[in-house]
Amino acid sequence: MTVKKAASLESEGKVVLPGDEVLRIPEHGQIRIGPGLQQQGSKIVATRPGVVRVAAGSKVWLDSRQRRYVPAEGESVVGVVIDRMGESFNVDINGPSTAALPLLAFEGATRRNRPNLRTGDLVYARVVVAHRDMEPELSCMDVHGTAAGFGPLEGGLPESVTTSHARRLLSQPTPVLLRTLAGGLSFELVVGQNGRVWVNAPDTAATVAVANAIQQSEGLSEKQAATFAQELLNGLQATRAVKTE
Amino acid sequence: MPGPTGSLVSSNEAQFILKALKEGHRVDGRQPLDFRAVKYKLSEDDSGAEVLLGRTRVFTAVTAELAAPFGDRGNEGRVSYHVELSPLAVPTFEGARAGGASPEVTALLERALRDSGAVDTEALCVVAGRKVWSVRVDVHVLSADGNIGDAVVLCALAALLAFRRPAVSLGGSDGSQIIVHSKDEKESVPLSVHHLPFSITFALFEGGQLIAVDPGRSEDICCEGHLTAVVNAHGEVCAVHKADGCPLSTDQIMRCIRAAVSTAENLTTQLRAAIESHERARIAQRVRRHTVPQDALNGAQQVPVS
Repeated sequence: MTVKKAASLESEGKVVLPGDEVLRIPEHGQIRIGPGLQQQGSKIVATRPGVVRVAAGSKVWLDSRQRRYVPAEGESVVGVVIDRMGESFNVDINGPSTAALPLLAFEGATRRNRPNLRTGDLVYARVVVAHRDMEPELSCMDVHGTAAGFGPLEGGLPESVTTSHARRLLSQPTPVLLRTLAGGLSFELVVGQNGRVWVNAPDTAATVAVANAIQQSEGLSEKQAATFAQELLNGLQATRAVKTE
Repeated sequence: MPGPTGSLVSSNEAQFILKALKEGHRVDGRQPLDFRAVKYKLSEDDSGAEVLLGRTRVFTAVTAELAAPFGDRGNEGRVSYHVELSPLAVPTFEGARAGGASPEVTALLERALRDSGAVDTEALCVVAGRKVWSVRVDVHVLSADGNIGDAVVLCALAALLAFRRPAVSLGGSDGSQIIVHSKDEKESVPLSVHHLPFSITFALFEGGQLIAVDPGRSEDICCEGHLTAVVNAHGEVCAVHKADGCPLSTDQIMRCIRAAVSTAENLTTQLRAAIESHERARIAQRVRRHTVPQDALNGAQQVPVS
């Protein structure tokens, strides 16, 4: 029996509470368990309230609304620089503790050529080390050592969302809300998997509109999100028309 | 920059807030003088109210007991106000210090509702010199998303309007025994509230040139100061509170007060509407409907409706 069949037979799409058994470990085959699940003997048990999801046939995970971020290696986050301690920056990534971003973890950085990051700046970085008992470590370079879009974010407006909404915004295909908004506006969007997003558009009204749309669209169905985005665009165009008259 | 409650606002956000305000926008889509929509949930058992101001959530419980009056005010009852900032709202609200915000909020609440004479304390007298009602208002801030002060005053006011105290009468052999009636015996009595004062806070930017009413979380933290005006819909100013931040000229203060009065008019209408619909729901809940069986009707008898 494949895992997919097992999970879809029993608990896929079901709402579980911490302690509920989600799955029995099958005798054959492999399962990968994702966030929110823990192995207890021969059972896989939920550690958070959420909905059971199965992906790609063998990965089982919990979809739960959570604001606090649990750092995981390889994820990309938007952080706020809190201060500089020695050879690294202290960055708040909305997790249980602050993270360390070494001064040299930037493309082309040397001891003489320091990155231009001040306290209070927003920075887009990758989580390099994330262990339960240690302070997480970030980097503004990808695995090959190039900047790849990481680094300080200039201007724009940050917004706070749940971590699950952030993941949905990053999923493929592009969510209908973003597609619709992009149809009528041009804007830059950086989504941190830690629940912090950053929006930058040429004019203030558009930036505010997009940032609020993203935050308020959590929980909307595809159709609702499309309608919501279209109404927002119409409203923006109407105010612009009034201004130019 | 770190805020007083330990929450963080990036310099990007702080700069954007200012830039947007200069263009007449606020980061949550409001206009500078737009107060957030208020949602009221008045308790069915007449004990208090919950208020949602945007995502700031406050709950108030009102209780009353008979007590001896204070020496020099024999014919007045009293109302005491207590505010608790729960760590649920902001994690740094823990322990006795409570981030330093609690005494200021309690003081604002007392000035707004007690010192303005909103609640009639003489109506709380039962037997002059012997027994008066002592009303206790406990406000709990459950969720903080900016402008806790205004939300606290609003919730305390709504709770005082929703509260019902037991009816009392004097009886006994010599007419001096106080009988407290249960709700089933006699309808409980609302408090006598003279007027509805609202606390309206403005966040100040650019040395007072730019103002934003009912600041959100990040506006609260990166503004240059706050001005609070406690006014009612009649245009009466009950208090003006400015505890910190950039200095303001009299013109700027008057501008805020005028904006506060027009906001108070809207808030008054909304609060009255909420109280009225709550009243209707209360009465509807207590009407016991008596269904008449068909054969009794055929007998053409008058069936009393209880």
